[in-house]
Amino acid sequence: MNQGPASQTILVVGGGIAGITAAVEAAETGYDVILLEQSPALGGRVSAFNRYFPKLCHPTCGLEINYQRIRKNPRIKVMTMARVVSLSGQAGNYSVAVKTMPRYVNEKCTACGDCAKATDVEVANDFNFGMDKVNAAYLPHEHAFPPRYVIAPEVIGTDAAEKIREACKYGAIDLDDCEATVDLKVGAVIWATGWKPYDASKITNYSYNLSADIINNLEMERLAAHNGPTGGKILRPSNGEPVKRVALIQCAGSRDTNHLPYCSRICCLGSMKHAVYVREQYADATVDIYYIDIRAHDKLEAFYQRVATDPQINFIKSKPGHIQVEDDGTPVICGEDTLSREIYARSYDLVVLALGMEPNALSDTSASSRDDYGFIVPMPGNDAGISSAGVAGGPLDVSMSVQSATAAALSAIQAVRTAASLPAQGGSVNE
Amino acid sequence: MTASLPENSHKYDLGFARWVYKNINGADKLSMCMQCGTCSGSCPIGSDMDNGPRKLFMMIRAGMKEEVFNSDTLWNCTSCYRCTVRCPRGIPVTYIVQGLAAKATHLGYATEQDAARFAKSFWWSLTHFGRTDERLVTAKYYFSFGLVKGIKKSLENLKIAFGMVMKGRMHLGPPHKVSANKDLRAILAKAQEIEAREQQGGAES
Repeated sequence: MNQGPASQTILVVGGGIAGITAAVEAAETGYDVILLEQSPALGGRVSAFNRYFPKLCHPTCGLEINYQRIRKNPRIKVMTMARVVSLSGQAGNYSVAVKTMPRYVNEKCTACGDCAKATDVEVANDFNFGMDKVNAAYLPHEHAFPPRYVIAPEVIGTDAAEKIREACKYGAIDLDDCEATVDLKVGAVIWATGWKPYDASKITNYSYNLSADIINNLEMERLAAHNGPTGGKILRPSNGEPVKRVALIQCAGSRDTNHLPYCSRICCLGSMKHAVYVREQYADATVDIYYIDIRAHDKLEAFYQRVATDPQINFIKSKPGHIQVEDDGTPVICGEDTLSREIYARSYDLVVLALGMEPNALSDTSASSRDDYGFIVPMPGNDAGISSAGVAGGPLDVSMSVQSATAAALSAIQAVRTAASLPAQGGSVNE
Repeated sequence: MTASLPENSHKYDLGFARWVYKNINGADKLSMCMQCGTCSGSCPIGSDMDNGPRKLFMMIRAGMKEEVFNSDTLWNCTSCYRCTVRCPRGIPVTYIVQGLAAKATHLGYATEQDAARFAKSFWWSLTHFGRTDERLVTAKYYFSFGLVKGIKKSLENLKIAFGMVMKGRMHLGPPHKVSANKDLRAILAKAQEIEAREQQGGAES
C-alpha cells in the first residue's frame, strides 16, 4: 500500500546528553531532526551533575558547546515539555502523536527575570529534587536551554499569575496556554529517554525515608553544586552543619534480586567522586565507602588508585545489612566487614546511597523491544527505524552514552536512506 | 629433585561443597553466594557467632567439613529470617543453617556447644510433654554438663528461678502436658520414619 513518500526526518525522544548528541550528529550530517524533551529545558541528568568523573570537569562546559551547535543549526527543531503518546508505522513512515504541556511563557521571553520579581509564591524546586524552593515564575536552572522562563501550574488562576503577566514587558506570558497534541511524520525514531534513580524507599532496611541525613547519589550532586540548595557547601540536611563522617553505600538496590538485579556501572566511580567532593571541602572529614567490589574499569582504574591514596578515604568491603536511625535522626550503619569479620555499628553525619539506574518508563513502546529490565535493545527482526541512545538502552556513563548516541544517529540515517531507496509499494529488494 | 609437599594445617574435604549442595535443603543455591556480608551483617546475634553465615558458606566451599559441622553458627541461629529476606542473591540462608544443624546432629557432631545442648533439652521436653517445661528444660540443660557443673549452675540461677516461681512464670509440680500427647508422639514418630526413609533413599542414589 502506498503510504506516500518516505520521510527523511529523524525524531529524537529525550533531550539529555545522548539525545542532544544524536540530534546534533544527525543534523550536522544533513538530516532534519526533531528533538523532544519532556521537561522545560534540555540537558537531562547531566545538567544536574556537579562534575564528571574521572577528570572532575564541569558538565556545563560540554553542554554549552552542544547548545551552540543546536542554536546554529536550522535543521534541529527543539520541542520542550513534550512527550510521545503513541507511535505507529515503520522505517520511513512513522506517525507519532506528541503531547505538549503548557509552559505559559512564549518565545518572546528574554529571560530578564521581571516575572520572578512580581510574586513571592514559591514551589518545590524539581531541579534540586525538592531540597529547596523556587519562585513560581522560574528559569529551570541558570544554564537552561532554551533560556526561557516557566510558570508553575500551581499558580495558574490565582492573583499571582496575573501579577506575573503584568510584570512582563514583552508580552511573553500566555496564561491561556494549554495542553496540545501534535502529530509528526518521521522516518526514524531514536529513544534517548534516559533513566531515573531506583526508588530508595523500596530498600526499607536502608531507612532512606527515616532520616534527612540519608540521601541518594543525585541529591549529593546537587549538595555539592554551586547552584544547588546549599550553594555548593556539603552540609548535613538535618541541621545545616558541616559534615565530619560521611558514608557512601555502593549497590544500594543494585546487584540485588530483591531490587535491580544488574550493575549500573557508574555508581562506583560516582561515589569515589563524591568522596573527593567531601575531601576537597573538609580537611578533617573521613569518608567510608562500603562496597561489594569496586568496579572501575579500564582507564577509570586510575581514578580509583588516586582516591585510594587518600588516608581519610576508607574502602570497607561489606554490603551493610541495615541502617538504624537514632532518636535524634543520626544514621548508624550496621553490617559485617567481610575481610576482618568485624560486626560493626557506626554512626555518620551523612550517608549517601549509591542508587542504580532504572530506565524511564515510556508511554508507548509498542514498536520498540525491551529487555527484562525495561531497557530498549535491538533484537533480531526489529524495526530498523527504531534505535536507542544512552541509558535508554542500558546503564552507561556519559562518555559511553555519547558514543552510543553517535551510533544511534548513524543507524537512524541508514534507516531513512534505506526506506527512501525502497519502492513506495514496499516491494522486496534483492541485493 | 623433588621438594616435599608442605603439610596441610587443615584437612580439606574437596567433595564437601558438592555434598552440601545436594543434601541440604536450599543449599543448591549456595554457589550464588558473592560473599557480600549482608547475612552476617543483618544477623541480630551476628557478633555472638563464631563464623556467621557468610564465612560458614566460604568454609563449605573450601571443604572445611569438620569446622563447619562443629561451628556454633549452626546452633545460635534464632530463625528470624532477616538474612534470607535480605540476601541479594536469593539464597535461603536460614534453611541452609538449620539443615546443617540437623545433619550435624545425625552425623554425631554438635555434642559440646551450649546452644546444641539447649536445643536437645528443648526437644526432649517437646517430645515428652508436647510443650516446654521451664524447670525441666533448664535442669536437663544444666546437668548435660555433668553432675557437679549441673548443681553449680542450678545454684547460681536459683534466685532467678525463685523470682519466676513467685511471678507465676515457672510452675512446680508435675509438668503440664498437651491433651493429645499420644497423637503428637505418633505424628513425630511418623515424621522420623519418613525422614529415615528419605535419608536411606538419599544414600542409595
